[in-house]
Amino acid sequence: MNVNNILKNIIRSRTANVFFKRWKSSEKELATYDPFLAKPKKNKETYLEVIKMFEERDTRRRGHVEFIYAALSRMKEFGVQKDLEVYKALIDVLPKGKFIPTNIFQAEFLHYPKQQQCAVDLLEQMEDNKVMPDSEMEQMLLNIYGRRGIPLRKFWRMMYWMPKFKNLSPWYLPEKLPTDTLELAKLAIQRITSVDPDTKIDIWQTEEIEASLDKTWVVSAQSRVQQVLLSEQPIDEPLTIKGPFNIYLNDQVVTYFILLGKIRPEYKDDTDLDDVSNIQKPPGIPGVIGRVTLPQVKSTVHEQDDGTIVAVCATGTSSRDSLLSWIRLLESHNNPLLANIPVIFTLIAPPTDVSLFDTQQDVNETKEENVNSTN
Amino acid sequence: MNIARKLSSILPYQNARKSLYRKFRFSATNCDTSAKTQPQVQEEKFDFEDLKVLERVERRKAKISPFMKDVFISIFNRDLLAYPEIINKEEMAALENRIAALEKVFCDTSKTQNDRRDILRQTGMYGAPTNLTNGGLAMNYTESLRYLDVISTDQELGQEISDHWVSLNVLKRGLNENDYQKLINDLTSGEETIKICVREKVPERLLQADFRTTAEMDGKGIWHINGEKICINATGYLLVLCLVEDTRFKAFLVHPGAKGINSEKNFVHFRNTPATPLDEMTEESLSQALAASRLYTATLCRNSLNKSMQACIEYIKPRFFSGRPLSQISTIRAVIGDTLLKLYASESVEYFTAGLLDGYLEPDAELEVAMCRNFIANHAQKQLLKLLAIPGLEMQGQCLELLEEMRLLSLRGENVDNINMYIALNGIHHAGKTMATEIKQIRNPLFHPSFIFKKLISDRHQEKDAPKLTLYLSEHLHPSLKQSAEQLEYCVLRMRYICETLMGRHGQDVAAAFTELTRLAEAATEILAMTAVLARASRSYCIGLRNAELEMKLAACFVDKSKERVQKLLLEVSDGEYLNLDHFRIHFGKKVLDSNSTLVEKPTERVFW
Repeated sequence: MNVNNILKNIIRSRTANVFFKRWKSSEKELATYDPFLAKPKKNKETYLEVIKMFEERDTRRRGHVEFIYAALSRMKEFGVQKDLEVYKALIDVLPKGKFIPTNIFQAEFLHYPKQQQCAVDLLEQMEDNKVMPDSEMEQMLLNIYGRRGIPLRKFWRMMYWMPKFKNLSPWYLPEKLPTDTLELAKLAIQRITSVDPDTKIDIWQTEEIEASLDKTWVVSAQSRVQQVLLSEQPIDEPLTIKGPFNIYLNDQVVTYFILLGKIRPEYKDDTDLDDVSNIQKPPGIPGVIGRVTLPQVKSTVHEQDDGTIVAVCATGTSSRDSLLSWIRLLESHNNPLLANIPVIFTLIAPPTDVSLFDTQQDVNETKEENVNSTN
Repeated sequence: MNIARKLSSILPYQNARKSLYRKFRFSATNCDTSAKTQPQVQEEKFDFEDLKVLERVERRKAKISPFMKDVFISIFNRDLLAYPEIINKEEMAALENRIAALEKVFCDTSKTQNDRRDILRQTGMYGAPTNLTNGGLAMNYTESLRYLDVISTDQELGQEISDHWVSLNVLKRGLNENDYQKLINDLTSGEETIKICVREKVPERLLQADFRTTAEMDGKGIWHINGEKICINATGYLLVLCLVEDTRFKAFLVHPGAKGINSEKNFVHFRNTPATPLDEMTEESLSQALAASRLYTATLCRNSLNKSMQACIEYIKPRFFSGRPLSQISTIRAVIGDTLLKLYASESVEYFTAGLLDGYLEPDAELEVAMCRNFIANHAQKQLLKLLAIPGLEMQGQCLELLEEMRLLSLRGENVDNINMYIALNGIHHAGKTMATEIKQIRNPLFHPSFIFKKLISDRHQEKDAPKLTLYLSEHLHPSLKQSAEQLEYCVLRMRYICETLMGRHGQDVAAAFTELTRLAEAATEILAMTAVLARASRSYCIGLRNAELEMKLAACFVDKSKERVQKLLLEVSDGEYLNLDHFRIHFGKKVLDSNSTLVEKPTERVFW
């Protein structure tokens, strides 16, 4: 073997080795010691503590990329995936100034690719969790990767789009949803009934009805128009309760029920639009406006194809008995006609007597159990 | 539709010969029609048989086709450019006498309201519209406006008596002869006046009709009223409009002290109140008779504005600014001048309309009457705010009083929107009747290709907003008003095209295009005002009234400004809802109403930090 060959070999193998190692080490599970796992209490303080420990352990902070990946994957566990401060603390792990390209070639050809990719992934996770970065983060990224770094560009794009997407929904929700199901149900019903701004939302307790078995709350919504529509219901035509339907508030689900009444006939219009020879004109008597008689046709937003929605509710247990109590409560609140009209329950799924609140707690409990078992 | 518009000549060349001749003639000497419009001096002819007749002589001219309705299809009755002259010499003298008597009391601030009522009684104002044989004055509308000009110094009395006059006219037509004779002495004595109760509250429930007062006949043949009405001082006789058999309107007279009347603040409740029906009256004649209240409202509004101007002048006169009298500041002068312009225009319109009502048989002038009210209600409020900005925060009490008075007057009976719709829908109804076939063709262009091409050619000037002036209105006015006449002509000629565009765009749904119809109504109102102002100024100048040259200037100024408004309004109508931004305004309103909030975040809000 001549010298040339040896040299070639060494160069090739070294470069290959270097690149291989670089790319190979970007595998996320390479962290050997997981300090997160050892923490008995999982909350924000302990999470930040771990990060601090990592920073103090070694001035060179070897393996910081791996550490960040490991930290990212543990966020949900600690319940900090929505916390901007935590993301900032993670970014802060990266050294300042070292990754900033100093010439055009470095700037163009992805200087420190793994480190850049790591920051991009972190930003991606923030985006997935709907956490909006702030200008301090921009400053940090600028100090770490420089003006031409990919993470900063990602940051800018996020800052353009995220505020727009954040407010896209016409049914605005508070940033932190309440944990109480009653409050949650109230929010849901408010959003459902926003079609009619006149709607009044009441919270009743089924205890008011003596015969009720389920002692729970009822969030009921009815507008004045709906009351009138209900009072127009003929006594021999039964009302129907339909449900349960699901409505999602972010990741929470609330079930609700609707009370359907009869449909008024569709407005039929067979006038020839092109014929203007006899356009209607108002009576000329000063002070007389509008119509003397009202047409008995569909005219409100509550009148849908499958029926007229006369009331909406969500109850604490979603059980048949609580719905019965709801009807009785409606009757006692300005809908006297309900005493005489039969009501049919057409519930799609068999009503489980497990309350909404309970199910949620169950889910939480099972989750905790899972976590414990992994520990 | 616009293709249709681009491609017909509806106006054939019937005028070709005439207009050619008009173009090349070099003097107005052989102008054929202008003689008609010159102020006429009628010779009084004594018919000795008439002397025995007590009633006023019928001098009305033959029926003419409705003036403003025709303007919607760009037909202009040029004879009306001669300002109507209704009152003859003897009537004028009697009128002046009474007015002098009224003025003596009404202009004297030391007199009380009772004194004023007394003089009204003495001059026979409470029975003025009734026939001479019934002890009245057989007053016509023109005269009534003159009286009201004086009486409205006291707005309360002005409103009271104008309602009384309208009601007397209704009763004259509505009651049969016997009942009428029984009541008439009581009504004309002035002890009890008649109030009009037509308007009702806006329904508060979904399934409530807009008009709810009903009347039913019991077994003994007596009518009973049930319902609620808006009426500010419900004493004396009440003229109540009710529904009979669910759909028909009928007016009833409720006598003072009838049982079941309960009035609180602005509302009157009737519970099984017995009433006399006005059987002889059709719905149409009822609406005609009641519509006169609009004319009186206009006059009251104008006089209120006049009063505000006088108050303002009183304020300005003794005050100084930077060592100069306040009256020398040009901005203040401009505001006062502007107010005069509005007052002049409104006065012209009112008397012009009264002339239409008095001067012709079977007048169809409801539209004009509505326009009078609309014109002044629209302009007076804006102008009043400008006027009252001159004293600023001084004279707080008086300013509030004047503002409240104007607000009540401009909402009297109905609001501006209702009248706008009434004007526009009546106009477009009339236009629709004449243009029905054409609109059908425009809306189905592919079935009528040749028509479309014709239309394209005939409308090319209208498309450029420069219609050929073919009405020659200036021939009927003083020559120095030529330019103004042409501006009026332009506005009139645009109307047909705009109606066509509107109906072409919406078809029969045009009745629901409210924002566009409002503009159309406002434009039509301005056209009537321009016509009246030009006719009046021309008449004044031709017969040499005092300050006639000022009137000419007023007229020219008014028409110039008014033309700009009309042009803008009509262009906006032809642009459609996207270009004139109506679509967006409506959308914003809907958003706010749907969300119960102002929607926009505060300017200090942020999404991130």
